[in-house]
Amino acid sequence: MADTNPFLPVSTSDESFPTQRRPIKQQLLIIFGLLSVGLFAAFLLGSSNGSDNAYLQENEHGSLDMSTSASGKPEILRPLTPAAAAGVSEKKNMRFAAKLGAESVAFPWNNSMLSWQRTAFHFQPEKNWMNDPNGPLFYKGWYHFFYQYNPNAAVWGDIVWGHAVSRDMIHWLHLPLAMVADQWYDENGVWTGSATILPDGKIVMLYTGSTKEAVQVQNLAYPADHNDPLLIKWVKYSGNPVLVPPPGIDDKDFRDPTTAWLTSEGKWRITIGSKINKTGIALVYDTTDFINYEKIDGWLHAVPNTGMWECVDFFPVSKTEGNGLDTSVNGPGIKHVVKASMDDDRHDYYAIGTYYEKNATWVPDHPEIDVGIGLRYDYGIYYAAKTFYDQNKSRRVLWGWIGESDSEAADVQKGWASVQSIPRTIAFDYKTGTHLLQWPVKEIESLRLTSNEFNQVTVLPGSVVPLEVGSATQLDIMAEFEVDKDALEKATGSNATFSCQTSNGASEHGALGPFGLLVLADMRLREQTPVYFYIAKGSDGNLNTFFCNDITRSSVAYDVEKHIYGSSVPVLKDEKLSVRILVDHSIVESFAQGGRTVITSRVYPTEAIYGAAKLFLFNNATDVSVTASLKIWEMNSAFIRPFPTDEM
Amino acid sequence: MKNNIISFVLLQIAFSFTFLPETHQLSSSTNLNLVETTCKKTPFYNLCLSTLQSDPRSSKADVAGLAHIGADKVKARATATLRQITVLLKGAKDPKLKTALTECLDLYNTIIKYDIPVAIDAVVKGNPKFGVESAADAANEANDCERRFIKSPISGSNKAVHDLSSMVASIVQLLL
Repeated sequence: MADTNPFLPVSTSDESFPTQRRPIKQQLLIIFGLLSVGLFAAFLLGSSNGSDNAYLQENEHGSLDMSTSASGKPEILRPLTPAAAAGVSEKKNMRFAAKLGAESVAFPWNNSMLSWQRTAFHFQPEKNWMNDPNGPLFYKGWYHFFYQYNPNAAVWGDIVWGHAVSRDMIHWLHLPLAMVADQWYDENGVWTGSATILPDGKIVMLYTGSTKEAVQVQNLAYPADHNDPLLIKWVKYSGNPVLVPPPGIDDKDFRDPTTAWLTSEGKWRITIGSKINKTGIALVYDTTDFINYEKIDGWLHAVPNTGMWECVDFFPVSKTEGNGLDTSVNGPGIKHVVKASMDDDRHDYYAIGTYYEKNATWVPDHPEIDVGIGLRYDYGIYYAAKTFYDQNKSRRVLWGWIGESDSEAADVQKGWASVQSIPRTIAFDYKTGTHLLQWPVKEIESLRLTSNEFNQVTVLPGSVVPLEVGSATQLDIMAEFEVDKDALEKATGSNATFSCQTSNGASEHGALGPFGLLVLADMRLREQTPVYFYIAKGSDGNLNTFFCNDITRSSVAYDVEKHIYGSSVPVLKDEKLSVRILVDHSIVESFAQGGRTVITSRVYPTEAIYGAAKLFLFNNATDVSVTASLKIWEMNSAFIRPFPTDEM
Repeated sequence: MKNNIISFVLLQIAFSFTFLPETHQLSSSTNLNLVETTCKKTPFYNLCLSTLQSDPRSSKADVAGLAHIGADKVKARATATLRQITVLLKGAKDPKLKTALTECLDLYNTIIKYDIPVAIDAVVKGNPKFGVESAADAANEANDCERRFIKSPISGSNKAVHDLSSMVASIVQLLL
């Protein structure tokens, strides 16, 4: 019976509780409740008079972790035996006695923990703060990546453009800063911008400057020497700024110009995010020379109550072909995507629709999932994303900024903050017609080292299966799950609505979920980061699949954010449930159903690090067994470093 | 030890007076309204009102200005707390207390050197989301400090810095 509560972080030892499940649950709830209340009271007495607020990082889960520490008991552990057959783990279902030991209240981060957090194959500067991706492009054999960078500290401020190049978007070499804040029109920051490659191969860069009066204006820059494939030196146009906030737009609501695309008249068109009251909008401008602009009346699109739109992106996708399209491509068989980053909730939302070139507007296919109220690129930490067309490999590639979810004190201590996602190819999902598919660029596969395969591993309800993969902090995991069909049929439907965020996370006990993987887990499962599916059966008999990432137990430290991320994921008839997970130290990028739903999280374990980080399968469903097949690669480092100066 | 605590309680009382509403009258009634409507949108209405009304700059400030004033108050309170911690540290004998105080020293340094300057910068430069995050972080660091003690000698200060920072985060949120 203990197996029915495998995830509860309190001791579930058999003698402590009566044998029926429901009373146990109730008792546990009561105990949890009392502990939580006690803790909350203690906390209130200690530091607050009850005026709790929305910004506190401590949450219910944090409290639970804390409270359970008081009830810590010696662990009963079953030793893991070596894999029974080559590459195949023991199929025996290990009991999941996850609970927390006595933890001191304070949590000092030591250097070994902090250095472990630095990633091995995700892009990051050598030190200090990074945010938005800027002006990605391919030029003369090199992929160029620019980024918002604070050269002076591990927190936001003093923003300039960092620059790096790569042959494959994986192995990056740092170059000198591309642009610094040295003009009145960008004195308060060289902010986000995009590149456009002209038909003659030359490059123009449009970026937002925060002027000495902190007015947001658009500026033009271009490479000093187009013969230099590294594009090291950049020139700012002497007549900058080229665009200032138009009447009716606030001085501080006018930023992040897109890549330009051609109209059928041969003019270049760009869009820039803004807002009017609480309506998020995308302004449109036409230009022939990138110096003089004509504002088009109205806007490309507007959605009420979504607030300021940052980092708007606009690009075509083919309804029929997997190839990416140049930003200027338009015509039959093509849809257009509008993406905006919502200043209000710091998430990136996209919608697919139709672009009407003549009046420079765009209309979503499904207004109920319009920009800002519908689908997100990523349901974890992921913001200010930007695509570019990679003419080298005929694909559209998406970059996105992944911030930290620890404290700024920890960021200052470790000396850096933020990473970029592995670039993702992005394409229309013609199977659903509503979603985009995001997938790590195939070049990432060059980092794959040894692999382990596990075929048809049965994971019984309420069980955990360790997967012997050696080192588990740099992994590329591909997994498929088959769910027992009889159990799906037999399960009783319910009217209850499910969501990852409001559920109990991986410790939920549904009839048909959760099940999936535990990454960055220590042997005793004190720390674990579950990535999983949850199938909810409606009273109409329909199945709804959710894809979640529960980081509430990712660390015993309390000064890190602890959420349950996730969303629904469409699963079509005859599709198996599939997930790909890239684990790279403190970053976990998870892609469900070929990239239909994606979750990126940052986790900061204290014990499940280095050699102590392990990988497990789990199934916390009450009524269904799942069969998992996996291929798991250990990943090499990308050895991101400065460009060798003698070759510059 | 006991004497120390008493003296710090007194110290705190002295500090808390700094934050009592002064008799200073705001010259413009419209701005009194702005202070009130702004403070109503924070979780600490009374604290917000007394803090902002005590500063003559509030009479002419817009919401961004109020956020800036609020951030200045956090900085002042955090700086005072840092001094308090330094004094406590000199007299501390208990190794656990010493450790906690040393850790708080780092946390308050983060608030003073990073969180609050970033919050002000973000408001002044017009990219408020970074200000929301930094001010919220300052609140968290103050809480974090509090949690490091078995029995905190600086609860009042931690609470004040936490509440003020949360208040500032709420005001900056209005600028998004």
